[in-house]
Amino acid sequence: MLRRVLTSPQAGLVAIILLLGAVLTATAGTHVDQRTGLLVNNFLNSYTLIQTATDASFFAIMAVGATIVIIAGGIDLSVGAVYALAGVATAMVLRGMGSTDPITAVLLGLAISIGIGLLSGAINGALVVGLDVHPFIVTLGTMWILRGIAFVSSGAESILLPRPVTEVAKASLGLGDALYPVPMLVMLVITVLGSVFLTQTVGGRRVFAVGGSQEASRFSGVPVGRVKIGVFVLSGFTAGVAAFMGASFYGSASCADATGYELYVIASAVVGGASLSGGKGSAVNALLGAVLIVLIRQSIRTLHFDQNYEWIIIGCAIIMAVVFDQASARFATRRLAAATRR
Amino acid sequence: MTFRGMRLAVMGVAIGLAAACGGSSPAPVSQPAARALKIAVIAKSSTNPVFLSARTGAEAAAKELTSQYNVPVEIVWMTPPTEDGQVQAQRIAQAVNEGATAILVSCSDAGKVTGAIDDAVARGVPVMTFDSDAPGSKRFAFYGVDDIKTGMAVMDELAQQMNGKGQVGILAGNQNAPNLRKRVEGVKEAAAKYPNMKIVGTFYHVETPQDAAAEVIRAQNAYPQINGWAFIGGWPLFTQALLTDLDPKKTKIVSVDGLPAELAYVEKGLAPVLLAQPTYLWGYESTKYIFDKVQLKKDVPEIIPMDLVRVSKDNLGTWARQLQTWGFTDVPEAYLKLEK
Repeated sequence: MLRRVLTSPQAGLVAIILLLGAVLTATAGTHVDQRTGLLVNNFLNSYTLIQTATDASFFAIMAVGATIVIIAGGIDLSVGAVYALAGVATAMVLRGMGSTDPITAVLLGLAISIGIGLLSGAINGALVVGLDVHPFIVTLGTMWILRGIAFVSSGAESILLPRPVTEVAKASLGLGDALYPVPMLVMLVITVLGSVFLTQTVGGRRVFAVGGSQEASRFSGVPVGRVKIGVFVLSGFTAGVAAFMGASFYGSASCADATGYELYVIASAVVGGASLSGGKGSAVNALLGAVLIVLIRQSIRTLHFDQNYEWIIIGCAIIMAVVFDQASARFATRRLAAATRR
Repeated sequence: MTFRGMRLAVMGVAIGLAAACGGSSPAPVSQPAARALKIAVIAKSSTNPVFLSARTGAEAAAKELTSQYNVPVEIVWMTPPTEDGQVQAQRIAQAVNEGATAILVSCSDAGKVTGAIDDAVARGVPVMTFDSDAPGSKRFAFYGVDDIKTGMAVMDELAQQMNGKGQVGILAGNQNAPNLRKRVEGVKEAAAKYPNMKIVGTFYHVETPQDAAAEVIRAQNAYPQINGWAFIGGWPLFTQALLTDLDPKKTKIVSVDGLPAELAYVEKGLAPVLLAQPTYLWGYESTKYIFDKVQLKKDVPEIIPMDLVRVSKDNLGTWARQLQTWGFTDVPEAYLKLEK
């Protein structure tokens, strides 16, 4: 069992995350909690750990969808804009409805966010397949269009969500005050669903097949167009879920939300080992990639590095993580080849 | 060592270190709580020079307070590289998790940070806002200009420079910032007093000097009739671009902010009046108010108004020297030598 864990594709990333976590724990120092008067490690405490997972959750949820697109050989630059539009639409509708019961507000909000996400994804997919244009170009265009729609419809206003919706996203679930595990749990559920889809279903195998070789897939009877549309719909779905979680957790939505997040999402997928040429990737690794990126951001502040170096450090860390992962893959391939020769 | 061996070693070290450092439950304190004051400063963006001067002010106040009261005051700069309300909310939470005694924040998006501010207060960490407020939150005080009045002052000064007639463009920055929206409202409200002046348009842009200057040039080309600009922030004047692209004889600018790079515009007459926010004081005064509240247990007013400083050719030298005193190293020598 331990051997399987240690030789799994996730082991490299998990090792880096654990190592970074250990370094942070050892070097972060301590502080006295204002309320309890107890001495607390600046990193290894329940608040920081859940906060790190929460920060990662919005990227990670979208990264699962983006990874599926990348495995199929595509790319989705519009996820940040879908996030903004879904959040704004949800906030506007809920504000327009005035006071309503909490369950209706949550269900309706979720339905609107996911609906906008699915619709945006379907449009992306249809344009990619129908116009036979590279997804980079299509989603670059829709990124601006969708953010523009969010801007025009909201009048650039930051729209508050009803308190009951925020209370659901910030439910402590018995963990204690100011501990909010809901985004983290949603992230885990989406990752498990993504992983099951990719590894246990025919649809998932088709995604890998299309990403590996589109022509071979077509000759094998795989409906390539449908698969391509499907992966963008899934990416839109995850962006919709992330938008609902983000808007409800922070209590407002605006057209500027998630600006630039598409790069973090793609970086999470790539750090997680997804190949931009298609055919390779994992939902679990995308989650680990997102956690690693957020942990690196966190460490800059926890270790009191100069904030001005943040972008440089993140850029270097992303390259190092990918190089480390590729080295890991090469070693694994060599071991396999050596074992086959024997 | 094989790669798998290396991975095992890495994981072993990680697990060992984590175990050695103890669990996530806090250990009891054996010593009395340290009296050091750790103030997390979360401005809108670390690429905006006005916030860098606020940081300088906060650090200067911390140094003064430390020596005056023999209480270590530390400023922890946690400002995101670019404006993002969500990231600000995350940093407020992180500041609390890492033991900040108080938090000072300029809100990019009040709606996004209100929950995080309230959480911080609930966990015993007082929060003060500056520059851009979150009025619905549980922050104990706000220090900054009255934004509606600031917008009105910009328009009144511009009307004076244009003799009460002409066509005006409003340069408005980021459309999500509530303080900037209020300044735009103020400009429009004041413009209504001048029947011979017309607002041609309100132009939003990314809040970087280059983007702002490009937006002014684009708008000026699209609306050549504009002969007056109300800048509710000084972004384009941090570049020298408009000195060559706009003619001071045809166009007048009145702008909020008065940083060193903008002084050339006053001298050349393109921006005859700047309404400077003493941005250094955002950090300096706010740090002192936080000290009063947290350390000295004094009452602090909820709204602390900041006065604008009118900068023109009449006091260019005085203002340049004031900026230098506040730690700005890029004040042109020529202005420092001016008599007043």
